[in-house]
Amino acid sequence: MLNPFDRDSFPIGKAPIAMLILFMISSILLLISNKKKDNSLEFWIFANTHYDEYQARLPLFNQLYPDVNVELINFGGTMHDKLLTALLSNFGAPDIVEVEITSIGRFLKGAIEEIGFMDLRPLLENEGWMHDLIPNRFTPWSYNGRIYGIPHDLHPVVLLYRDDIFKTAGFDLTKINTWDEFINVGKEVTRDTDGDGNIDQFAIVLDNKTESDYFNFLLQRGGGFFDENGNVVIDSDIAIDTLEFYSSLFNEHKIATPVYGTWHGHPSNFAAMQDGKILSILAPDWYVGILKSQVPQMAGKWKAIPMPSWEEGGRRTTTRGGTMIGITKQCENPDLAWKLIEFTYFNKEGLANRFETTMIIPPIKSALDLPIFHEPDEYLGGQRIGKLFIDLVPDIPPRYQNPYWSEASDLLNNTIFEVVTENKSSRTALIDLAATVRIIISKDQMRWSIKEKNP
Amino acid sequence: MSNYHTLTKKFWNQQQKIAPYLFIAPFYILFIVFMGYPLLSSLIMSFYEMRGFQSRIYVGFSNFIDLFNDPIFWKSAWNTTYFAIGTLTLQLPIALILALILNSKHVKGKNFLRLAFFTPVLVAGVFVAIIFNLIYDQRSGIINNEFVFLGNEIGWLNDTKYVMPAVILTGVWQWAGFNMIYFIAGLQGIRQDLYEAAAVDGANWWQAFIHVTLPSLRPVIAFVVVVSMIGSFQLFDLPFILTNGGEPADAGSTIVMYLYKNGFQFMRLGYAATIGWVLFILIAIISIAQLKLLGIFREE
Repeated sequence: MLNPFDRDSFPIGKAPIAMLILFMISSILLLISNKKKDNSLEFWIFANTHYDEYQARLPLFNQLYPDVNVELINFGGTMHDKLLTALLSNFGAPDIVEVEITSIGRFLKGAIEEIGFMDLRPLLENEGWMHDLIPNRFTPWSYNGRIYGIPHDLHPVVLLYRDDIFKTAGFDLTKINTWDEFINVGKEVTRDTDGDGNIDQFAIVLDNKTESDYFNFLLQRGGGFFDENGNVVIDSDIAIDTLEFYSSLFNEHKIATPVYGTWHGHPSNFAAMQDGKILSILAPDWYVGILKSQVPQMAGKWKAIPMPSWEEGGRRTTTRGGTMIGITKQCENPDLAWKLIEFTYFNKEGLANRFETTMIIPPIKSALDLPIFHEPDEYLGGQRIGKLFIDLVPDIPPRYQNPYWSEASDLLNNTIFEVVTENKSSRTALIDLAATVRIIISKDQMRWSIKEKNP
Repeated sequence: MSNYHTLTKKFWNQQQKIAPYLFIAPFYILFIVFMGYPLLSSLIMSFYEMRGFQSRIYVGFSNFIDLFNDPIFWKSAWNTTYFAIGTLTLQLPIALILALILNSKHVKGKNFLRLAFFTPVLVAGVFVAIIFNLIYDQRSGIINNEFVFLGNEIGWLNDTKYVMPAVILTGVWQWAGFNMIYFIAGLQGIRQDLYEAAAVDGANWWQAFIHVTLPSLRPVIAFVVVVSMIGSFQLFDLPFILTNGGEPADAGSTIVMYLYKNGFQFMRLGYAATIGWVLFILIAIISIAQLKLLGIFREE
């Protein structure tokens, strides 16, 4: 009798037939699962903390909309690459997606009608949210007058400092208003503590390999890489002066130490902060959140003051980092997508919950008086850190977005390193950088304009 | 009857011609869909540049011309070559020495040691990079803290001079044990009577190594060298994570890293395709030259 599972009667054996059956079953399953239901929303996320927050609150959304099936997918850091591929191939993009502030630029390249996100301005205006959001926070997500994303955050920056060590050294940082004053105090506390001839306690930690901290200073002074109209302004006097100042903190005043590890949130950097090698750090709200969750043993050692200003009465903060939520053009049900955005981004209970786990202050004016933002924080020795961030909100500078940000920031990273560690002149370095980026942009524009003339 | 007979004979002849192609069809179909078509379209893409997400513009050879004038491409190409040279002069000799030791009759616990040296290759490159990122840290890393005799703290990942050496050393740690296995397999294939004949002729250990071991290992060495070179020129994940995307100042950038940045971060797909094809040509030239040098095309 012919038995397909019998080695003798089936010429290839059991294993291939088993594989064949598995292949057929999985193909059928894939075909079925790829059929999208009408009331389903796919939502891509890159940040673990965001994913945890939305996942936990999803049942509440489903109470409001029981027949909507929301699928949250956390791809981590590679999400932006996957999104780019999905938008390029015009297939497989999610309905809703969160995008990170340094990654959005590449998605805004080329002709406006080819951008993969919906313009949310009409929805914001119709639903009455426009006036309730902090206007400066639309700038990272807007280009050519269109708004491609709703801001998730404000990310004001404060100066976190080791309260215990400054106090022992006899300094009250709450009396410091300007960077000049900070430098004077910084010189007193930057020293060799164990007498081995090497300085091992620095007043501040700054990144000398990437633009991150330099950009903190530059935005504080009202500068930027690009202006509102997309012009390159990284060779402006403000930018050059700021880079000279930045480099002087390392080389002339010698109060700054390069970041330990690859960034401020690297385990080596946390260790240096804990060991008292680093006495202060420029910290956005989210950074305070990761400190609390990842280095709980430092509770009570740190306090915050507004960022020192450039001149008496000047701007006391800047902004670092950010996320937006957008609806892709592949979304078939934008109204439903909007309902989920309203729930995750505007719901006050959700925003309070977000602050509790991540310290992130929302960009919603009407939410800023929620009691939770004004409570004392034990980690910061009872300081009302939320209130400090909120008091700085009116001063948060705009950060203009540009399709060429990725190329520009990549080159700016190199410039920062060359100026700070290889003593290249700030002026030459930034003028060269601006010229390079202008060439990249004008070359594209030239190509596109030829195409437009001869389509 | 005879008519039927010729018909079946014809059928059998026909199917004998077609059958082999049908048997290998799954490979060719998959190859054409997933390799052939993308290769062809990337070649076409290298003569275009994206103008947004849907349309593109023909730019002729301008991507190639730009590439040859791009200092970051040259820096990345040099870094990649530096890594390849490091692999050739450091990693492979270490792999061969390990193989000679662990193939010797006098070493105890050979199986355990072979496994121990082999295991690093089982660890995903990303984890290796994260661990070595901590090990190399200038001020809190194990290397600078334990090997104090090296003198002043070395900025493994902070000083442009030391970034590629740091990547090469990590490559040695991860891959030397893997290549060791090839060499051991090669050593075990050498006929013992060759050594006996050499001993009869009065050859010492070194002479036997030079005149028996090395020539007999030639095919294995050729394979390992060529495969390692191809791998070296495709280097990406290790330096990408270890140096946080090529920092500082692109000192850790490689050709494939620059390709990735252009394609995915800068959305310059045409330029990225151009880098890919230049890399392909580079690898092809180097591989053929190596095979020629190592005498693989020679008739035995």
